[in-house]
Amino acid sequence: MIPGAATVRRGDTLRMAGACAALLAVAAGLGTAVNFLRPAATRLPWVGDWQHHVETKAFRAGIPVVFLAGARERTEDPATMVFDARVPEQYEAGHLPGARNLPVGEVDRRLGALASVLTPETPILTYCGGSDCADALELAEKLREYGFQDLTLYPGGYAEWTEYGGAVHAGSEP
Amino acid sequence: MSRVRTPFLWLARIAVAAIFLGACIAKIRDPELFALAVNRYRILPGEFVNLVAIVLPWIELTSGLAVLAAPARLRAAGALIIAGMLGVFTIAISLNLLRGIEASCGCFSTRADAAVSDGWNLVRNGALIWLSLAVFLDAFRRAFPRPPPATP
Repeated sequence: MIPGAATVRRGDTLRMAGACAALLAVAAGLGTAVNFLRPAATRLPWVGDWQHHVETKAFRAGIPVVFLAGARERTEDPATMVFDARVPEQYEAGHLPGARNLPVGEVDRRLGALASVLTPETPILTYCGGSDCADALELAEKLREYGFQDLTLYPGGYAEWTEYGGAVHAGSEP
Repeated sequence: MSRVRTPFLWLARIAVAAIFLGACIAKIRDPELFALAVNRYRILPGEFVNLVAIVLPWIELTSGLAVLAAPARLRAAGALIIAGMLGVFTIAISLNLLRGIEASCGCFSTRADAAVSDGWNLVRNGALIWLSLAVFLDAFRRAFPRPPPATP
């Protein structure tokens, strides 16, 4: 080892770290400035309330979540039971193909009628209006209390489904 | 040797820069959707999700520009930062795959219909890490040339 080489390398490392810090500082400055200059409606607060986001709650509750691709896959799978947790009026106006209406408050009353098509192992997908509603998560948790094991939540819900051109059925039938 | 090395390094710089400059556009355009993609990794505490969503796309932009057009020292820094980011992204995607979370990686698109992550993302990241490290080593050598060995 050449005695001076270690010193040179250390100096190089420090200069390299300085260059990295400079790039990161520029990026942080640009990000902050652009976010500050955005219209208030699209500006992101520095700290978001992600603890109460429905996906975070589902993760904590141990309910698996699927997104658009997963929801499409499951609605096409005849073995999967899809439950729409919204109120009947919203369901009748339009719902995912094959979905049955099951608002959280109606589970105790309506579940008996579905006994012939449901087993504890039946894959179940629940959804509601969109990521700002928690009804589908509450429905999944309620169904878990009844012993259903294969539960999945689609947090994007009806809003995302229709936004991306998903087919919908209207009326009171699935 | 340099007849192959020089064009390879230029191609590596262009590829790495183009990918990162392309990747930052959707994230800068819609930070809220990118924050949602970050949250879906379930790695960061909620308090840091927005901070990452605000700053990370700009790190991609400045690093990509540095790799493409900056002098050697900043180019080395950009390539090193990109390699580091790719390492973190690879770990995050691997964790999602292991946990069975069927989410898009949020790499190039924040749209809900973006392709779900799979093993291909890991292969692609591995190749990009290799390219960015090649760019880093070349730029580092140019920025900090070794003194010739002392003759006895």
